[in-house]
Amino acid sequence: MVMPRFLTYLIRDVRSFSVPARIVLGGGLLFLCLMPHLGFSSFFRTVVIQFLLFSFLAMGWNAIGGYGGQIDIGLAQFLAIGAYTSTMLLVWWDVPPWFSAPVGMLLAVAWCVIIGYPLFALKGHYFAIATIAAVLVLKDLFSNWELIHASRGVHLPLKQAPSLLYLQFHTNIPLYYVVLAMFLGGLIFLNWFRGDRLGYQLRAVKENDEAAKSLGIDIRIAKLKAYAIAAAFAALGGSFHAIYTMYIDPEAVMSTELSMQIALMAMLGGAGTLWGPIIGAAILVPLDRFLGSALGGSKSLQGLDLMIYGAIIMILAAVEPRGIMGILQRITRAVRGDRP
Amino acid sequence: MLLQAIITGILMGLLFALIALGLTIIFGVMEFVNFAHGEFLLVGMLTAFYANQLLGLDPLASIPLSALAASILGVATYHFLVRHVIRGPMIAQLFSTFGLMLFLQNLFLFLTGSNYKMVKRGWLIGKSVRIAEGLVLDLSVLAAGVVAIVAFALIYYLFNHTRIGMAMRATALDGLGATLMGIRTERINYLAWALASAIVGIAGALLANFYYIYPTVGLVFVMIAFATVALGGFGSIGGAFVAGVLIGVIEVVGGLYVGSQFKFTIVYATYLLVVLLRPKGLFGW
Repeated sequence: MVMPRFLTYLIRDVRSFSVPARIVLGGGLLFLCLMPHLGFSSFFRTVVIQFLLFSFLAMGWNAIGGYGGQIDIGLAQFLAIGAYTSTMLLVWWDVPPWFSAPVGMLLAVAWCVIIGYPLFALKGHYFAIATIAAVLVLKDLFSNWELIHASRGVHLPLKQAPSLLYLQFHTNIPLYYVVLAMFLGGLIFLNWFRGDRLGYQLRAVKENDEAAKSLGIDIRIAKLKAYAIAAAFAALGGSFHAIYTMYIDPEAVMSTELSMQIALMAMLGGAGTLWGPIIGAAILVPLDRFLGSALGGSKSLQGLDLMIYGAIIMILAAVEPRGIMGILQRITRAVRGDRP
Repeated sequence: MLLQAIITGILMGLLFALIALGLTIIFGVMEFVNFAHGEFLLVGMLTAFYANQLLGLDPLASIPLSALAASILGVATYHFLVRHVIRGPMIAQLFSTFGLMLFLQNLFLFLTGSNYKMVKRGWLIGKSVRIAEGLVLDLSVLAAGVVAIVAFALIYYLFNHTRIGMAMRATALDGLGATLMGIRTERINYLAWALASAIVGIAGALLANFYYIYPTVGLVFVMIAFATVALGGFGSIGGAFVAGVLIGVIEVVGGLYVGSQFKFTIVYATYLLVVLLRPKGLFGW
């Protein structure tokens, strides 16, 4: 029997882990699978859901921003396309998310090709700024488009009874498993992606695009493929967000801050590494929520949480641009006694 | 109507150009993009606001204060942050000033609250001048345009006719070459940050005369400044001037005909269109 490539990579990589790494990862996986039944508060569960969702989005960003080296600050536009597709199809024609989410992903990929093809002529800062501008244009259009309720936003219609088809339940436990499945699927997919042809092509482009071109890599196509992956991840995340929160508006799903947050998580953990986005989300989401609930509650302390957030990012950019993965690598090297 | 819109657009555009000037000087000298530039503007605005509240100063009179405050912030930013990331990968450069932007935005949210502030007492506040039938100009906007032109003239003189300005241009063209010619490029870097930040601080004081002040106000203007700089060509001072005026006119006239909710949409769309056709901007090289 021929095994799918992503499975062979998965098995190979798991085998290569050291024993402590296997224990940590196995324990983490077991914890995530059993978490809803371990008696944690529902606040804790919402934090974990947010963590899984943002990890998933940051993984998508990592495809283009980390492996591809193209700093995109506009991932929220694809998230919005996913969220609005799922929402409007449900509102208009009662289409369940199982069908509308793939449609949203297709639309997001189509849109990413339309804007990505011209934008990839730009490099570095120019690309980053252009992606911000692209989202701002789209956000203004969405905010004034009556068909999708403009800036008032849309409430998702509530079903009479809990329904697996429409993913509406009395508790958020089933949705927790949905986002956990997305998270694990995304991780396995990216593990395949980084070890496969496209992953290597992108790293070549990132290191030296002229050299990559001379090796016969079509730079624009390689970047577009990575962008499509990022767009599809973001759109699926957006569909989940819509179903989870039951309400979306342009400000919530396509603000520049959201795009930045996603990118910052991947950067904090370590852009261009498999675990980076997850580590970044594991630090920033709880920081955001717990600081937010501890400090944001009192009016006099508002802003303090994001100040800390900003300070961490500045310090990390100056001290270790490879993010926490870079720090971890240093530590493992020091423990093993290798020379850097 | 149209004439009014065009002239208001030019005046606003001069202010946009002034904001973009700081960004383009720093980019020209060290190829660094400061995403926190909008927060430098905010510092200028807040200085003018509090000078007005506490000392009763008119925003125009507090221009030196605003320039000084922003300048101190700029030098501190260079000394404590930019110096350490400038040789690192581009991603670290980008994120360092994202971090700074988040930090400053929320610092001001923390210190001054999220409510909208507006300078209420001043020489020009609420006054306007009627030049012709149907052509009424807000005096504070007019003042902003005039000061912006003066500032541009001074900067132009500085860069073309003084030793220090020529040293800055030399550093911009070729940092290593400038070092070999005996220019202390590290000093030039500090100077560029001080100068660029002072300029955006001045713009902040001018803007405080007629615009609301709130912690995230910087984002609107920094995006316009990016569009201006990219349109004019990164590092080009003349380009920033022309592009700023162009964007001001597009914003106001476009807003008049398409609807004011789309005024920034048109600016960003124009910017996208231009950079796609000319990735280095209108005057870039």
